[in-house]
Amino acid sequence: MLSFQSSKNVLSLTEDLLVRIYELLAAESDRKSFRLVCREFRRIDTLTRRHLRVIRIEFLPILLRKYPRLQSLDLSACPHIDDGVVSLLLTRVGPGSNSPILGHWAWGLKSLVLSRATGLRFSGLEMLARACPCLESVDVSYCCGFGDREAAALSSAVGLRELNMDKCLQLTDVGLAKIAVGCSKLEKLSLKWCMEMTDLGIDLLCKKCVDLKYLDVSYLKVTNESLHSIASLLKLEVLGLMACPLIDDVGLQFIERGCPSLKVIDVSRCEGVSSSGLIFVVRGHRNLLELNAGYCLSQELSTALLHQMKNLNHLEVIRIDGARISETSFQVISANCKSLVEIGLSKCLGVTNMGIMRLVSACINLRVLNLTCCHSITDAAISAIAYSCRSLVCLKVESCNMITEKGLCQLGSFCLLLEEIDLTDCCGVNDKGLEYLSRCSELSCLKLGLCTNISNKGLSYIGFNCLKIHELDLYRCTGIGDDGLEALSNGCKKLRKLNLSYCNEVSDRGLGYIGRLEELSDLEMRALHKITGVGLEAVAVGCKRLADLDMKHCEKVGDSGFWALAYYSKNLRQINLSYCGISDMALCMVMGNLSRLQEAKLVHLSNCTVEGVELALRACCVRIKKVKLFAPLRFMLSSEILEILHARGCIIRWD
Amino acid sequence: MDLKERVCDELQKEVPKGASSTNFNTQHQQKWEDPSSTLDYSTRIEPPFQAFNQTCQTQSLLLCNNQIKVPMQDGSINDLLQQASKIQDWDPSAMLNNLSFLEQKIHQLQDLVYLIIAQKGQVLGRPDELLVQQQQLVTADLTSIIIQLISTAGSLLSSVKQTLSAATTSLGQCGEFGGVVFPSSAQRLNDGVQPQNAGGSKVSEPPNSIDITSNNGNEQNNHIVEEHELKDEEDAEEGENLLPGTYEILQLEKEEILAPHTHFCTICGKGFKRDANLRMHMRGHGDEYKTPGALAKPTKESSSEPTIIKRYSCPYAGCKRNKDHKKFQPLKTILCVKNHYKRTHCDKSYICSRCNTKKFSVIADLKTHEKHCGKDKWLCSCGTTFSRKDKLFGHITLFQGHTPAIPSDEIKVAPAGTSDGATNKVGSVNFNLSSYVSSESEVQSSSMDIKGGIDDAVGYFSPLSFDTCNFGGFHEFPRPPFDDSESSFAFLLSRSCNYSQKSGE
Repeated sequence: MLSFQSSKNVLSLTEDLLVRIYELLAAESDRKSFRLVCREFRRIDTLTRRHLRVIRIEFLPILLRKYPRLQSLDLSACPHIDDGVVSLLLTRVGPGSNSPILGHWAWGLKSLVLSRATGLRFSGLEMLARACPCLESVDVSYCCGFGDREAAALSSAVGLRELNMDKCLQLTDVGLAKIAVGCSKLEKLSLKWCMEMTDLGIDLLCKKCVDLKYLDVSYLKVTNESLHSIASLLKLEVLGLMACPLIDDVGLQFIERGCPSLKVIDVSRCEGVSSSGLIFVVRGHRNLLELNAGYCLSQELSTALLHQMKNLNHLEVIRIDGARISETSFQVISANCKSLVEIGLSKCLGVTNMGIMRLVSACINLRVLNLTCCHSITDAAISAIAYSCRSLVCLKVESCNMITEKGLCQLGSFCLLLEEIDLTDCCGVNDKGLEYLSRCSELSCLKLGLCTNISNKGLSYIGFNCLKIHELDLYRCTGIGDDGLEALSNGCKKLRKLNLSYCNEVSDRGLGYIGRLEELSDLEMRALHKITGVGLEAVAVGCKRLADLDMKHCEKVGDSGFWALAYYSKNLRQINLSYCGISDMALCMVMGNLSRLQEAKLVHLSNCTVEGVELALRACCVRIKKVKLFAPLRFMLSSEILEILHARGCIIRWD
Repeated sequence: MDLKERVCDELQKEVPKGASSTNFNTQHQQKWEDPSSTLDYSTRIEPPFQAFNQTCQTQSLLLCNNQIKVPMQDGSINDLLQQASKIQDWDPSAMLNNLSFLEQKIHQLQDLVYLIIAQKGQVLGRPDELLVQQQQLVTADLTSIIIQLISTAGSLLSSVKQTLSAATTSLGQCGEFGGVVFPSSAQRLNDGVQPQNAGGSKVSEPPNSIDITSNNGNEQNNHIVEEHELKDEEDAEEGENLLPGTYEILQLEKEEILAPHTHFCTICGKGFKRDANLRMHMRGHGDEYKTPGALAKPTKESSSEPTIIKRYSCPYAGCKRNKDHKKFQPLKTILCVKNHYKRTHCDKSYICSRCNTKKFSVIADLKTHEKHCGKDKWLCSCGTTFSRKDKLFGHITLFQGHTPAIPSDEIKVAPAGTSDGATNKVGSVNFNLSSYVSSESEVQSSSMDIKGGIDDAVGYFSPLSFDTCNFGGFHEFPRPPFDDSESSFAFLLSRSCNYSQKSGE
């Protein structure tokens, strides 16, 4: 709070002090307020700003000019980034420009996020990679069309240290070889879902990039051969092998002898891995910090494995989802792994109150506990957890039906640091329970889906006390109505994500309260039969940041609402309009006017004609990345529009 | 001593010795048992050549053969053959006749041996000549008995459909005697069957059939070689480490090596590369060549005597495979000699019709290449191509800075083709250099063509000039995005720049 007199003092602060203050502002909204104070503050902002996440491409040239010290540029939220745009940016705003201010924006750039930039191709990527000599980190994840040429383009960034290529579906060994040879300083590489990859590529990578610290080959069809190669990486700390179907215990034997720096390993969902494979890993790496072995221990934890786990004194995270576990195992774990911070026991068989009590008795540092689908635990276990683990931050007890307000009372009394709790499908939760829970004032994520016993009253406790909540899931909480939303909108101003699907009582008045949540970016409100265009308009007008809207089956919403949406929700990125009564005209307006829209689900639009859909697609074809359409339209839409969409890298799902 | 001369001498020697019609000379005897060991390649080649010429000139092959081979005739065998001819029709009485003849013959032989034993005491003072002669007589008779036995078995074989127990027993006997003798005797049998062919033809057959047998033996070897070690005959024996002197070195002349055919039809003179093909061909010349015996593949006889190991020398002076070379490494088989000579010392006249760049001197190499040419080309940035991905990756692992070129890269392929021609001159300096760089042992590897050499030069040098030359990655990835003409130009430029820089070093 600055009074008029003290503002003079603030302005008299020297530049470097202002910079320090600025750097202490973590939240983006705070920084925004800061730079809106005055010109001087704005100048500080432009001088110090390192990171830029661009949402609308039209401002990109201006922004790049404005922030000369940019080190990190995130274009993932920016639609229609393509080769032409990149070329333009580099020639108009790049080193070729006459103005000294315009130049050099790419020169200092160290990090580039191009995730989901499906419009980009190798030529643009190559230009970028060459224009940014200091580039150290690139994220091209989920660019499904990326392949070897794009990899080759990236390989010209010789200083690259971090590279994320998740789901670059066309990438093969050849592309990886390009990167391995070109970017030999690589430290972090993620290759999830690069399905074409084989052992040859991984082998070459391990020979060329010996500095690798982080390697994720999850979901690849690589075999033990790859593990043999990976074992030679002396600096490797994190290894992701999730759901590699061809890896088995023999391969993990190589890991036992290699990778001396290994800290984190994930072998979850590897069909071939069993207890004996984990024994190899554990035996070879006493300093392991994190062990992810979910869904690969179908049998009970073997005593041999438990015996080996005794030595993991530094273990902080263990996830053994889906395993069969006995009470004695809990005792062994808790007695030896005293530094455990996170335990994942999701869908484990044999988790009992007694087991949990034994587990938590020694693990006092526990911060994250996942007990999803451990049906037999009751309030006794929750009480024990609350009593022992005072620093608990995250608790997931989805489908634990026996939890009642008593357990929540204990949590509200002792776990005051609790930030996230998942109570989905816990029928025992009622208004009283929420009242106890609301004492956890740090709560930021609350999931109450399918808790049919809560009402507006319970929600109002949350609204009054949990002011930091940014995610709330009220899926099928049929007891919730407009009054609850009123209380919520009064208190939880930071709410970013809200799920109101199937809360049948919610009407236009409730949506009016929702419209007060300025931070809201993600709203799911399927099948709200009472709402009309008025409610949607209120949301569109109020929630300026709305990026993701799912209003499937909101059949009563009329065109006025969609017109408002098209007019106000400029930041909308994803929309689901399936089963809505939207007309051709409104659809064209929505699809054409929302310049950030990237993904749309347009199934069963009863008031729309084929021509209307075609027109709407034409209106958005330059930026849309994913669209779901009614299957018969496949043969009704003109082949031209389908070709255009395909050429732009848009994925069409026919339903 | 030159191989050919030696062999000719041998043959000459053979003829007068054989003139004493009553006995085979020992050498001949040996041939029956192990034709492949005594008869070598030259003999195999020479007679067919002769035959070939004669057919062309005089059309009186039979007569010629007759004149040459008559001295080799053995009267007793002739008798036997006539006997055998009767057996052909499977006549029990003839069989009995035959057997009784055998019995008779054995008795004769027994008597002879008794006689020798009896004489032993008396011949003390006399030179051993007579004894030797008698021994030869005995062995000759033994041979004829064996032949008779086998021909009997052969006749049984042809009429064995009734599966007489007698026939199977004689077949068993046949097996005991080993296969090599079998076809030649069958040949005789055939002769016997066709008396109207008579005299010259018939009597000319024994030596001829010996030849064929021996050919078969050798050819069989070759055949195996052709199938299994066609490509790397030179590597095949690297680990052999035969001590010098423990084997016999043979050297063929260039003409012999390059002769297209090694088997010739004695009737029409047509040449064949394989004996099997000749045998197939022979069927057209009459029914006598259609018998199972005539068509059967002669099998190699495992001789009891240790045979001298034969190795071959390349006639090209200065070649490592030449026996005068300091580090002489012999070639294992005739086929090795042929392939080596063609690959190393001959023009590469077979050009791949697909890529029009790869050349080969051995047609089998071309065919092997054509199988893989164009498809699954794994290309390195240095220009070297690989048929297999793992080979490419091995190469990339080995050489610093090499990267795989993107396959199915149409934009790149076109400029690469033109630029190779254009940069050839610039790169010529490097090419010479590169042959030095590539290790000496590689000099011989003829499969590497000139283009590969040039590209290798780039490969070998690029690590050195990589950092300096690799601005913008043009060198390794010469494909700017905009248009083709520009990209090809840029490519040329960067390549030639690369070259000149290197030649300047």
